[in-house]
Amino acid sequence: MLLVKMVTVEVLKGILQKRPEGYVELRYHSRQTFSISVKDGKIETLNSGVVEGACARVLVDGSWGFASSTTLGKEKIDKMLRSATSLAKSSKPKKKRFVKLVSLKPQVGRYETPMKKDPEKSDKEELVSLVIDVDKAVRGFSKIIVSDTVTFNIVDDNLAFLSSEGSEIHQHIVRCFGSVMVVAREKGNIASAYESIGEQSGLEVLEKTPLMNAGLTAAERASKLVSAKMAPAGYHQVILENRIVGLLAHEAVGHCAEADLVFGGSFLANKIGEKVASEKVTLVDDGVFPNGFGTMKYDDEGVPTQKTIIIEKGICKSFLHSRETAQHFGVSPTGNARAWTFEYDPIIRMRNTYIEAGDYTLEELAEDIKEGFFLKGGLAGQADFNGEFMFGTQEAVKIEKGEFAESLRGVTISGNAFEVLKNVDAVGKDFAMRTGLCGKEQVNYVGLGGPSLRTKVLMGGAK
Amino acid sequence: MSLLDFASLAVNTCQKLGTDEAEAFVQNLQIVEVVLERAEIQNERFKTQSGIGIRVIKDKKLGFAFASKLSRESIKNTCKAAISLAKVSVPNPEWVSLPAKDEFPKTPEGIFDPEIASISGDEMLNLVIDAYDAAKGYDKRVDIDDGKFSAILNEIAIANSHGVEAQEKTTRIEGYLVCVAKERGETSSMAYEYDVSTMLREFSPEKIGKTSAEKALSSLHPKAIESFTGKVILDSDPASSILFYPVISSVNADNVQRGRSLWAGKVGEKVASPELTVVDDGLMPKGIGSLNFDFEGAPRQKTPIIINGKLEGFIYNSYTANKEGKKSTGNAYRESYNMLPTVATSNFVVKAGKKKLEELIAEVDKGIIVRRFSGNVRPDSGEFSGIAKQASYIEKGQIKHALGETMISGNAFQALKDIIEIGCETRPTEIRAYTPPILVDNIHIISKQ
Repeated sequence: MLLVKMVTVEVLKGILQKRPEGYVELRYHSRQTFSISVKDGKIETLNSGVVEGACARVLVDGSWGFASSTTLGKEKIDKMLRSATSLAKSSKPKKKRFVKLVSLKPQVGRYETPMKKDPEKSDKEELVSLVIDVDKAVRGFSKIIVSDTVTFNIVDDNLAFLSSEGSEIHQHIVRCFGSVMVVAREKGNIASAYESIGEQSGLEVLEKTPLMNAGLTAAERASKLVSAKMAPAGYHQVILENRIVGLLAHEAVGHCAEADLVFGGSFLANKIGEKVASEKVTLVDDGVFPNGFGTMKYDDEGVPTQKTIIIEKGICKSFLHSRETAQHFGVSPTGNARAWTFEYDPIIRMRNTYIEAGDYTLEELAEDIKEGFFLKGGLAGQADFNGEFMFGTQEAVKIEKGEFAESLRGVTISGNAFEVLKNVDAVGKDFAMRTGLCGKEQVNYVGLGGPSLRTKVLMGGAK
Repeated sequence: MSLLDFASLAVNTCQKLGTDEAEAFVQNLQIVEVVLERAEIQNERFKTQSGIGIRVIKDKKLGFAFASKLSRESIKNTCKAAISLAKVSVPNPEWVSLPAKDEFPKTPEGIFDPEIASISGDEMLNLVIDAYDAAKGYDKRVDIDDGKFSAILNEIAIANSHGVEAQEKTTRIEGYLVCVAKERGETSSMAYEYDVSTMLREFSPEKIGKTSAEKALSSLHPKAIESFTGKVILDSDPASSILFYPVISSVNADNVQRGRSLWAGKVGEKVASPELTVVDDGLMPKGIGSLNFDFEGAPRQKTPIIINGKLEGFIYNSYTANKEGKKSTGNAYRESYNMLPTVATSNFVVKAGKKKLEELIAEVDKGIIVRRFSGNVRPDSGEFSGIAKQASYIEKGQIKHALGETMISGNAFQALKDIIEIGCETRPTEIRAYTPPILVDNIHIISKQ
């Protein structure tokens, strides 16, 4: 596989030496995946494969063109560059905005995911039996568990970036992640629960955060919730568990700090230097977070990544940029231009977005709550331009006079990002980071993190 | 070599290497795409993608491997990879067989449009500009945020060791725009509108532009109302994601067999209001999920799901059908060549009622209309909760004002029984469900007040 990469990169270099028209970016990407999924004691999938391809993004007179192909070889790549160039030219008369890129020193470099246990050298049979063991334990947890799905995946990306400005970057990113879905049934009621593990690393992730623990957490939750009612609707004081607070950072704030959304008038537009959250809140997007799911040394425009402070002690400090928006806003690029595969041109995306830890324990967070909920287990989320966000929770533990009481079925929560962040009055010290897959025109791997914290949200529950 | 030649080559190679059964799925995609970002045309993409997925079975052990490279050498390596995975796998005693050779029905009409297959970058741009102009021209307060328009040519071929051989070309054109409206320093919520069609002539970019602008505008100046439980008109999209996503999950034979469906053992029982009739129609003319065979080479068909509120049956692929000694309903599906087939709907068609949306609104004394749902739906239990977007308050049959910070919640399985009326304007939604607007009772409408 690496041989194909070297051959392709040589072809790409050859093309750039011929001084093509305009600014040209060429990328090679091969994605090798291995996945196991066991459903109800049986192997459902045991897959492996390689998808590879190359793409060209060309900027001619302020107009972009893009082409990609899975067929490699000099002739095909030449053709690909020609179609990207001709798309850039032919679409120019129909465009109203012309692109300028912020200048960038040519970057030459390499990056590889630090790994202690390289999955390449792993025994696949051992991984299969590990997943089977988790499945067994999950189904054995309780008689009322009727079904489960346990998965484990390895995604190995080999990336090359070359530009007509002289950049040449090679990156090798390895992500290992797994998930457990459990369904419990009793007396005509049904409940499901979901947990995941993962990070950018080798198989040592399985020692740091055993898949078994995730499985047992999900099994316990599904069993507990099967006879529980839906949490009540209304505007409530809540503690968001550390494992879901990243969803708040990502959905409520992160998206609105993406410069393409800021441009359109997101709620953070024109707010640099202003107070947008409680002073307890410091929120960052970090491209260099160790083992982060969204960590890389360079982005897909060849810009080095960095730690960008979006909100510092409640004050809005910076947005997330590509070379194009950095030029428009007159700032430095932040390394947030990301492409899912060689089939996409990069757009502004978060990397690892988190709220920094405070100093409360979980008990202290609950102490001052007369009536409220401790929300656990994340589900899908979404953000709107105007700051309105939502994300789902799996479990709502009732809090009465500072004490944790019974568990109810979790519901979707929503709020206005401004208000929810201003209402953060206590931040925990139990920082946790997890993985996510975010969709915005194209999907991408992101990290979501933070400590448990206390705020107020609208819960969409039962009457 | 044709796609089918590659598929047959893979099957023969596997058989020579000593598998019990083998199957190959080969795909070739060509996509022309225009992306809008920050209110303008950002980029135009031309993408070609091909690949093969090879499934092998040896001693009831399954292995699967895929590759994007289509060549003799790559196919041989991929066959070997699939076989080596089957070796480390565990036998599945429930495995019976890949689909046997069967006769296919006639190719459904209108699934391939040469105009889409040969669309140029310039023609695509013109479509986008039509949508753009329609949105901008609708009202000065409207801004476009982002969007994407894609024309897709999808060629697939399937072969297996039982002599199944199938290949077909389909086309699709789809596009969406996200608009916001701004007035007096206030920004509306994001309004999303899309269209999808297998035929270029039936695709309307103007409608996308106009409707997304109209939706953005009508969500300006929202007000909250007091919480209540009552009538909600779900437009096609929210109706599909709230009501039919749990239905689709519950009639999926895999979920039924695994105890993940509350409808297991309920065939013949009443599960919804008598107003509701749903079929899965894999052969519907111009259907976005239509084809004469499914994605493992079994014939597609029309399968009744719910007739007048009564549950009629489930949808199967060959694996789940074999488990029950039944015939597959032709519902094997894969998102891409690099995935194994699962059970999924083809065209999930909700029978249209008689009333137009305005007539449904006129019938509501007190209630709301929801045109976008941003929330979570649990497919197994049917619980849903989320934000009502582009929602308005209705009183005495008239829309009063836009709603802000309003959530809705309930249970889809209860809501199916609480359907009052089904509208007549059916359209395909994101989950390939052809759905009209639906008026439902007893939904919780939640605000801070």
